[in-house]
Amino acid sequence: MLKCTINGVALEVKPGTTIIQAMSENSQKIAHYCWHPGLSIAGVCRLCMVEIQGNPRVQIACNTTITEGMVINNTSDKVKEAVKWGLDFHLINHPLDCPICDQAGECGLQDQYMEYGQYDSEMAEKKQKKHKVVDLGPTVVLDSERCILCSRCVRFTDEVSKTHELGIFNRGDHAEIGTHAGKKLDNKYSLNTVDICPVGALTSKDFRFKQRVWYLKESQTVCNGCSTGCNVKVHYNKEGLFRVKPVYNAEVNGHWMCDEGRDTYKFVNKEARLLKGSKYSNKAWQIDLHSGAVAKETALNLKEAKPEEIGLVLTGQHTVEEYEAIVTAFVNFYKTKNIFHWINNKDSFDTFDGLLLRGDKNPNTKGLLQTLDKYGITSKWTDLEDGLKTKKIKYLVVAGPENTFVYPDLQSKLQLFSQAENFIFLSSARMPALESYAGDNKISLIPLKTYIEKDGTFINAMGLAQKFKKATTVVSEALTLTEAAALITGQNINITETPAENLFIATNKRPDQVQLEHRKKNEFVFNRGRL
Amino acid sequence: MAQETKYLTEFYHLPEFKGIEGYKKNGGYKELEKALKLQPQAIIDEVKASGLRGRGGAGFSTGMKWGFLPKNDEPRFLLCNADEGEPGTFKDRMMMERAPHQLIEGMIISAYAIHSKKSYIYVRGEYDQSINTLEAAIQEAYKAGYLGKNILGSGFDHDMDIYRGAGAYICGEETGMISSLEGLKGQPKLKPPFPAVQGYLKKPTIVNNVETLAVVKYVIRDGAAHYKKFGTEKSAGTKLFSLSGNIIKPGNYEVPLGFALKDMVYELGGGIKAGRKLKAVIPGGSSAPILNAEESEKVNLDYESLAQAGSMLGSGAIIVIDESNCMVQCLANLTHFYHHESCGQCTPCREGTGWLDKITHSILSGKGRMQDIELLLKISDNMKGRTICALSDAAALPVISFVTKFRDEFEYFVREGKSKVKGTAYKGTSHVEMHH
Repeated sequence: MLKCTINGVALEVKPGTTIIQAMSENSQKIAHYCWHPGLSIAGVCRLCMVEIQGNPRVQIACNTTITEGMVINNTSDKVKEAVKWGLDFHLINHPLDCPICDQAGECGLQDQYMEYGQYDSEMAEKKQKKHKVVDLGPTVVLDSERCILCSRCVRFTDEVSKTHELGIFNRGDHAEIGTHAGKKLDNKYSLNTVDICPVGALTSKDFRFKQRVWYLKESQTVCNGCSTGCNVKVHYNKEGLFRVKPVYNAEVNGHWMCDEGRDTYKFVNKEARLLKGSKYSNKAWQIDLHSGAVAKETALNLKEAKPEEIGLVLTGQHTVEEYEAIVTAFVNFYKTKNIFHWINNKDSFDTFDGLLLRGDKNPNTKGLLQTLDKYGITSKWTDLEDGLKTKKIKYLVVAGPENTFVYPDLQSKLQLFSQAENFIFLSSARMPALESYAGDNKISLIPLKTYIEKDGTFINAMGLAQKFKKATTVVSEALTLTEAAALITGQNINITETPAENLFIATNKRPDQVQLEHRKKNEFVFNRGRL
Repeated sequence: MAQETKYLTEFYHLPEFKGIEGYKKNGGYKELEKALKLQPQAIIDEVKASGLRGRGGAGFSTGMKWGFLPKNDEPRFLLCNADEGEPGTFKDRMMMERAPHQLIEGMIISAYAIHSKKSYIYVRGEYDQSINTLEAAIQEAYKAGYLGKNILGSGFDHDMDIYRGAGAYICGEETGMISSLEGLKGQPKLKPPFPAVQGYLKKPTIVNNVETLAVVKYVIRDGAAHYKKFGTEKSAGTKLFSLSGNIIKPGNYEVPLGFALKDMVYELGGGIKAGRKLKAVIPGGSSAPILNAEESEKVNLDYESLAQAGSMLGSGAIIVIDESNCMVQCLANLTHFYHHESCGQCTPCREGTGWLDKITHSILSGKGRMQDIELLLKISDNMKGRTICALSDAAALPVISFVTKFRDEFEYFVREGKSKVKGTAYKGTSHVEMHH
């Protein structure tokens, strides 16, 4: 270990540590744009200036390795002046269009200006003109005038996604980011470039113009897009969830997440959700029922059934705690071991792209398997099919997936399940396919909560158990699987209801209208860009 | 009467010196034979002892640079920097066109000294004739057994290739050159690691100027002690200077270091054109701070004297400026050049060169503000020493020296809206109209 002093604080660091690493690991503030802990060193923004005792010139912290006894500071007037000028060079050709820029509120230029700048610009010349609204690919839009050419996005596509779509073209102050001829920024990790862009140059087509970031709350959770279990944060407010961004976890996802995982907020929002309980019997639907009431009624039915007539289907989409509750209920209370594992995409279940994406699109398959194992459940899927065909299974309870987008077999499975005389479907997602059911069997629909709305644990593909906390509530009447388990075993629980005005989409606007307006805005900007 | 010292350029007047026969007739390739019998380390020691300093601009000790190579068997490269792009410099071109074998021989000796089996000559793309001459000479050298396998029975193998630049000034910077040679965009690399440790293809690489490598032959021929007799104590040897500007006899002149600039201008160069008075001299290529007439008449052409005078020897390009020139216009020429040539990697240089260019041109078009003069200095100060390579400094230094030494001309231009010397302003409204 090497001893050094940074801003008066004595530190011990491993040999080979750079000054900026030591500073960021010890929560010391240092301005920087091009350096990113997950990428190679570029050393081009020249903002991370530090003064090293014995060296007359300020040095960049990102490419300076600490040596024994080094005394470093970045708080002297000399450093502050250097950073102020470094910032000014970044800003002279910057359009300063913060009022219409999506990055405003989380922009590196704004942050550093408040820290080091706060001066009036002396730039009286005409600014450099560059391309606006460049369509880089299906997910990302570029504004070259805002770009500070830190090259983070280029290094990301070279070093992390290894897709090499991006480059810097031309030189000097004509230089611009762009895609190589014939290529589009189109890879499964493309939106990470938006995260690491320190300014408003790269914006996400999905998120841009939807919300001002200062109107969003942030909450950390675990992505339920696949069995990798990337650590993420969701951004939301009363209108709903708006985006998902990665949170650093060296053991799981490093600094990154995939584009697919970023879409997971969409099935949490109210427009995709089952809001109320409903029942189908005697060829007619009763809708807008209280979810608890439907669950309690289910309990009455199940109590009349023989153990071998009862079946339970589970997906890998719920928490370990919920599996424990519902499996105990069925094994101990209803004395049945007819518990089945619904695998959504059999062929790609065990695939892995080498970076983050796994073919198992369930966050907690490991957790489910462990619970089933614990209770000695060995039922096979064919047992369920046979049981339904031979009418041996008369009461089928299914805890459906939260993310129905990754369940291509949903329709065929629903057809299978509705062969049961009593099909009790617990689902967080709206089920339009079931609404048109016209058979003779009985169906009950009970809304479930999603991962955003509950505490719990997921066990990822590597066997790592990750606990997460509830972020917020979207559908107050929905039940967790634990609550549902209690109700359908006849226990009484108190379901605390959130008042309607505290709910998400409590506005007069329908969510799909909100979407449409944004799309229009985008189109306008695109047209202007082309002109 | 001061005279040239024709040491490297002794036979440059002979057209036959270009071909291998003429070259050998005048002592060519004798030193290669001699060197191949020496221990490589002995050559490095001799070069170190000669006090030879890099002739490309930085003036770093050549022997010391070679000494930075790792002491192992890793393959390494020798790269000859012939991307002569510094405005005012044209000495390497003459050397390559008149005496290609001198360079080739110097390179083989140097390669032998540093255990390199492969070398490249990175030639400026516009130098068609140099490329053709060198290519022919390399073929001759292969035929004669000076290149290829087992050179002169010594067991030493060496291959040499030419790489043609594509017209970027920044590729003359050694790490920019390495990037370009690797097929990447010509952008300097972060240091450390230095090329001697991790250069071309991440292998140890030595980059030396044409003139530096040619000198190695003479250090072997005459020994370090003899070479040190030329020049001053710290600036040993002779150097080629490219003399240009408002001078009667422009051209390349070889003189020992420490030669008086005054003698270069008035005696070798034949004085100022049309009997006008000297106003200023840029002594070491466009990146070197300018000297006014008084300073020019006192200074000697060696690394130390020029540093003391606040400028530098650089590549040895002496640009003579007489009283008929407007300094605002001269500076605008330079700021345009650096704006055009900045690679755009580091922010202070990318944005600063453009800013300086826009301000000088705004003054030139009569639209300058008085605070612009101070602003030019502030911008330049904050571009110095803040970037990966020296281009930013090269752009800033002329601005600082022009503005401080000829401030009255800048103030006059801002105040009156026209040149103090020429009495007019530029009609163009922006620098874009003026240059494109």
